[in-house]
Amino acid sequence: MDWMMSALQGGLGSLASYLAAHVLLCLVPAFFIAGALSALVPQQSIVRFLGPNTSKWVSYPAAAGAGSLLAVCSCTIQPLFAGIYKKGAGLGPAITFLFFAPAANILALAYTGVALGAEFAIARILLALSFGIGIGMIMAMLFRESDVARLADARTFADGGGIPGKTLLFIGALVALLISGTLKLDFLQAVLFSSELSWTASSAVQQTLDRWVPVNEAVGAEGLSLQGALLIGLLAAIGAVAWKGLGKVDEGFNRLTPVALGLTVLTLAFAALGVKVGDTGIALTVTGRTLAVTLFCLALMPLARRFDPWDVQQWLWETWRFVKMIFPLLVVGVFLVGVIRVFIQPEWIRGIAGTNTLQANLAGVVFGVFMYFPTLVEVPIAKMFLSLGMHPGPLIAYLMADPELSLQSILITAAIIGKLRAWTYVGLVALFSTVSGLIYGAWVDGMSPWLLIADVGSFVTVIVGTLHLIETRRQAGEGKTSC
Amino acid sequence: MLIKILGSGCAKCNRLEQLTREAVAELGIAATFEHVKDMDQIMAYPIMTTPALVVDEAVKVSGRMPSKDELLGWLKAG
Repeated sequence: MDWMMSALQGGLGSLASYLAAHVLLCLVPAFFIAGALSALVPQQSIVRFLGPNTSKWVSYPAAAGAGSLLAVCSCTIQPLFAGIYKKGAGLGPAITFLFFAPAANILALAYTGVALGAEFAIARILLALSFGIGIGMIMAMLFRESDVARLADARTFADGGGIPGKTLLFIGALVALLISGTLKLDFLQAVLFSSELSWTASSAVQQTLDRWVPVNEAVGAEGLSLQGALLIGLLAAIGAVAWKGLGKVDEGFNRLTPVALGLTVLTLAFAALGVKVGDTGIALTVTGRTLAVTLFCLALMPLARRFDPWDVQQWLWETWRFVKMIFPLLVVGVFLVGVIRVFIQPEWIRGIAGTNTLQANLAGVVFGVFMYFPTLVEVPIAKMFLSLGMHPGPLIAYLMADPELSLQSILITAAIIGKLRAWTYVGLVALFSTVSGLIYGAWVDGMSPWLLIADVGSFVTVIVGTLHLIETRRQAGEGKTSC
Repeated sequence: MLIKILGSGCAKCNRLEQLTREAVAELGIAATFEHVKDMDQIMAYPIMTTPALVVDEAVKVSGRMPSKDELLGWLKAG
């Protein structure tokens, strides 16, 4: 019975820290941003840069941009990928798009930053960007002669105008909300005002919570605070109200819509409030963060009024759709990660991937390739590995490989571009993920930047040299046959 | 009138079909619906993004959800 108890507590502890204040301050705005990107950004504004006659300098960055801005949902990934490949800029940018989308969309980046630290989020976006473009270019070069004749149709890439200014402003305000809720800056953490409510039962309540979800610093279990418990209550209330208030908003605003939005603002403001339980009462602290989060939430109101009601309804409906699609999977995933965590010995992980070696990075990649986790669940898994003593290098290798190489993405790729190309892509992703892990690990271990640059430089030279060799061989071969 | 919904069967595509059906019912026109899920057939139209609405082989909208007024306008004109 004992082990079942500890497994259950492990799951609950992991869930409690997932629903803690700082994670909510990041994930809730991130869902609203994802909704806004999907509902308010006209896709044509980016698609027009992906036509067959666009220069490489524009189409590769545009493909990466499409990956992070348009592809929050799998139902956009497939047609866009097929479209770029068959009708637009070709195989290279299509691959860049496919590579960049799962690693660098707003939900993945925000959650990585909060759960693992900003440096992992930055590493993830930089490595995904450079290697996404790199793999795209290599694929384009390898399969150049078999590139299909594309049925270009000018109408597909017609200039539909840019992103409207009000949309940019609105998304900017949402991003500012996300940043002010999560970034650890001095002026955000400065105490503006604090007061203590006396409540004699406070310590007893906290003790009960500690008994349910024990704090264990050694394994990174943060326990459940009183604030956390209240936040979970608020989330449940939002869930109950939003089912109709946001889920049915496409038929027009209903009475529950303002209630759901009001509760969301309340939750964010409360999550940004400092709450500390003492022996005699509860100390409440209003920090710069509390103020900034509340202000940005309120600023969204007049900004949203500038849109048609129809657009606002679309935004809220899309947001709720993302929450419904991702949140339950994430909750189950986080709980299971906590349960599994109890049974894994730190020695195993440290033995396999405790240092930044080639084998360790390969192990990270192999685990990423063979395990399939739903969107975003790779983040709590990575967090578990980190707390078990995995080296940051192999961890990045895993984080690069896991979302790129799910079974689903391999199958989609194979169906559209053919098996040979798909497996070449898989091989390249595995190679590049290993290399990113090695680079990031060396950086963390304090390797001198010059040596690092030299290493990366020689790696790039080897790749380019190999490609060049293949290219000249092929040209020589073509020369012979034409004679 | 032949109305085609292009899309891989995601939530948005189903919703576009539902909205269009409602608009058709409101106008009382006779229309045949077809939900095209095959990627090659979808790609034959000049679009890159789904869901898309095709009325009598002319693409009316792609990649976003049209409002009811827009839908009614296209269906009346078509």
